[in-house]
Amino acid sequence: MGDSRSSGDRHLFLVARKPRFGLPTACPSCLPVYLYLKLANADFTVEFDSSFPDSDHIPYVEYGESVALNNEKGGVIELLKEEAILDLNAKHTSLAIPDLVSTKAMVSSWLYEAILYELWIAIGGDVAHNIYFSDLPWPIGKILHWKKIYNVKKLLGVTKVNCEERELEIYKKANEAYEALSLKLGDQVFFFDNRPTDVDALFLGHALFVLHALPETSELRSNLLKHDNLVKYAEHLKAELQLDSTPSSTQPSSSSKDASTSSAPRRKPSSGWGAKPNPKPKKEKTEEEKKFRRRAKYFLATQLVAVLVFLSLMGVPGDSEMDDEDAVDYDEE
Amino acid sequence: MANSDPIPRDQAPPSDSEETNGADEISEEGEEEEDTEYEEFEEEEEELDPVRERERLKSIFRRLSTDPVHVRVHDVVIKGNTKTKDAIIEAEISDLFKKPRTVQELVAAASIANARLKQLDVFDSVSITLDAGPAELPGTTNVVIEVVEASNPLTGNVGVFSKPEARSWSLEGSLKLKNLFGHADIWDTSGAFGWDQSLEIGTGVWVPRFKSVPTPLSARAFLLSQDWLKFSSYKERLMGLNFGLLSTNNHDLSYNLTWRTLTDPTRMSSPSIRRQLGHNVLSALKYCYKIDRRDSHLRPKSGYAFSSTSQVSGLWDLRGLKFFRQEFDLRAAMPLGFWNAAFNVGLSAGAIFPLGRNFTKLSTSVPDRFFLGGHSSLVCSLGGPSSLLGFQTRGLGPNDMRRVLNLNKDEGSSVQSDCHDFVGGDLAVTAFADVSFDLPLKIFRDAGIHGHAFVCAGNLAKLSEGEIRNFSTERFLKTFRSSAGVGVILPTKFFRVEVNYCHVLKQFENDHGKNGIQFSFSSPL
Repeated sequence: MGDSRSSGDRHLFLVARKPRFGLPTACPSCLPVYLYLKLANADFTVEFDSSFPDSDHIPYVEYGESVALNNEKGGVIELLKEEAILDLNAKHTSLAIPDLVSTKAMVSSWLYEAILYELWIAIGGDVAHNIYFSDLPWPIGKILHWKKIYNVKKLLGVTKVNCEERELEIYKKANEAYEALSLKLGDQVFFFDNRPTDVDALFLGHALFVLHALPETSELRSNLLKHDNLVKYAEHLKAELQLDSTPSSTQPSSSSKDASTSSAPRRKPSSGWGAKPNPKPKKEKTEEEKKFRRRAKYFLATQLVAVLVFLSLMGVPGDSEMDDEDAVDYDEE
Repeated sequence: MANSDPIPRDQAPPSDSEETNGADEISEEGEEEEDTEYEEFEEEEEELDPVRERERLKSIFRRLSTDPVHVRVHDVVIKGNTKTKDAIIEAEISDLFKKPRTVQELVAAASIANARLKQLDVFDSVSITLDAGPAELPGTTNVVIEVVEASNPLTGNVGVFSKPEARSWSLEGSLKLKNLFGHADIWDTSGAFGWDQSLEIGTGVWVPRFKSVPTPLSARAFLLSQDWLKFSSYKERLMGLNFGLLSTNNHDLSYNLTWRTLTDPTRMSSPSIRRQLGHNVLSALKYCYKIDRRDSHLRPKSGYAFSSTSQVSGLWDLRGLKFFRQEFDLRAAMPLGFWNAAFNVGLSAGAIFPLGRNFTKLSTSVPDRFFLGGHSSLVCSLGGPSSLLGFQTRGLGPNDMRRVLNLNKDEGSSVQSDCHDFVGGDLAVTAFADVSFDLPLKIFRDAGIHGHAFVCAGNLAKLSEGEIRNFSTERFLKTFRSSAGVGVILPTKFFRVEVNYCHVLKQFENDHGKNGIQFSFSSPL
């Protein structure tokens, strides 16, 4: 199933949030990445992070000294495709690309907003707490939870005044997306050309989360259940990918990726993929500039020391120890 | 500062009423000879001229200071405390005046009491006077303690200090509000801004004793932010509470509850650091035993010092970090007998172990591990393995490669980011030997400026995550880093400056050791 180009002998490490609700990872951002790697038949190991629930760089995929973070270049899946590590869309014809891109945009925006709204604002705190904060001490988890709710409201533009209006808008777009996807899918196994694409990974992650993690009172879940073929699609692929079984994983605390000692030979950087970080790399300083800066520092330091010596010699300081005649050194046992 | 020495009241030419007082002060029941002697003094008092009067007083004082003049404390009177509770003052000095049986012992006890009351830091002055006891109780004395409470309870100070564990020196300021509730309580708010963009804000309270607890107690809330991006690719923010439970000259017990967050805004960290990013809770009990018998902690020439710090974290199952950390530090100093020279040696060691099932496979938290390097003084700092001159802060030991950048995909070029992240060690050992000596010029000697030559060595090893099985003492000893150098120490009023030339004798790949001149600034106290 799927085509994993150039992933033959490369082992990947996926760091995601912990499993729950019968899902290999309960976080709606991490699940599509996990499914993408599964659909691509990639050789990967999952590690779970439970100490950084408010980070936006998780999930991330490591390979060698390189890493694809979720908050760079559109996300992990986009980076894996861009660097030609894993590209599920590679063998699709150019005719399907426009349709694929627009479908992906719809899933990544409308359905993503719907999940955010439902998880953090609509249904209350239990589900989110179980996924993100249950491993942290209660006060910290509570503070981070409130902070996340505030950020989500800000992101979605939800205020006390327009709350209902925004809710209707979000659900309306989600319904339209479900309708469109249901029509697009029909009776097929995958959305495009009977082959998995990143759209399948994204929507499958969304659907499995809505069906298994959200409570029965969830409106989003009720809307999705109206589309039988979408539900069957999700359940079928869940069984095919054997998502019910516990994934082979390790906790970050016992990670096999150890730090090297300083006497070990330096590892050569891999020629694989990397990513441009947001902060711009510092301009390389020339040798002359470095020398000049070093000399300038020495000069300033020498001047400072000379001033201090002058001050010391002109006014001989008293003993620097507290020599109080009345102080008595005694032990209190 | 008012005179705090205990002074017998009868300095003026004694009148008739004071005759009895003079006899009462220094006579002991049953010693008829002394009574007779003093009676003779009394009979002659009115006839003495000023010169002979002075002689008489000198004789009295000579007797008081050399001969065992017996006396007993009848009462302790406290004056001048309008805000401070009597109980606070009495608790500080109550045990001191029960035992003395002679004037000399009483004077010594009064000195100790004076020092203790001054240490409370809530009085502008303390004066202890020995007054005559009741007339019907000869041989007794009343101890009168007169305090002047701080006229301005609000004080502030600003200073520049350098701490061994910090990367650089910091500007610190604090405001103190003294004796707000009359329990000699000191409330303070402090802030420190480090040259390395570290920031610390805290507020707390200190009381010398609270109800039945005889030792000082303290409580402090703090917010601390430190930037370790250059060395270990993470920033650290701590927010928490610290409670001082026991504090004496040698023992210190404290509890710390801290919310710690590690972040990497640059996204360049190595995998080891990346896995440590996030939130953690530190719920730890820390016990420190310290004994310092050196004659000076700035330039010790004789004596020894020892400190042991134990820390247990993971109390009350707060799902926080669970580890046990232990540090030892041993110093010794001996004079060499020429040029005011002294030889100092020191040995420090520390280890940290995670707690829990299969602890050998668990990991320790990077900020709690040991790091070596930096410019802090070898001789002055007493607090575990940290300093290794000649090496940058966090400049040696276990490290992990940082993220690779792929700048130009077409050309296949990649740039290695700035080396490695130093991730610290679970086991650390340092040792040093230092010889300090006066410089030839008298002007330097008068100013306290002296020179020193040193050699130091240290090493770190990882023991967690299964590495303890690969640990070998032989390899650990073979991979010791070392450096040597000479320098000049300038003790000024504002800083204690060390200017050292360091030569790295042994370092390994990826270590940040460098030959050259280094400066170190620390507190002059």
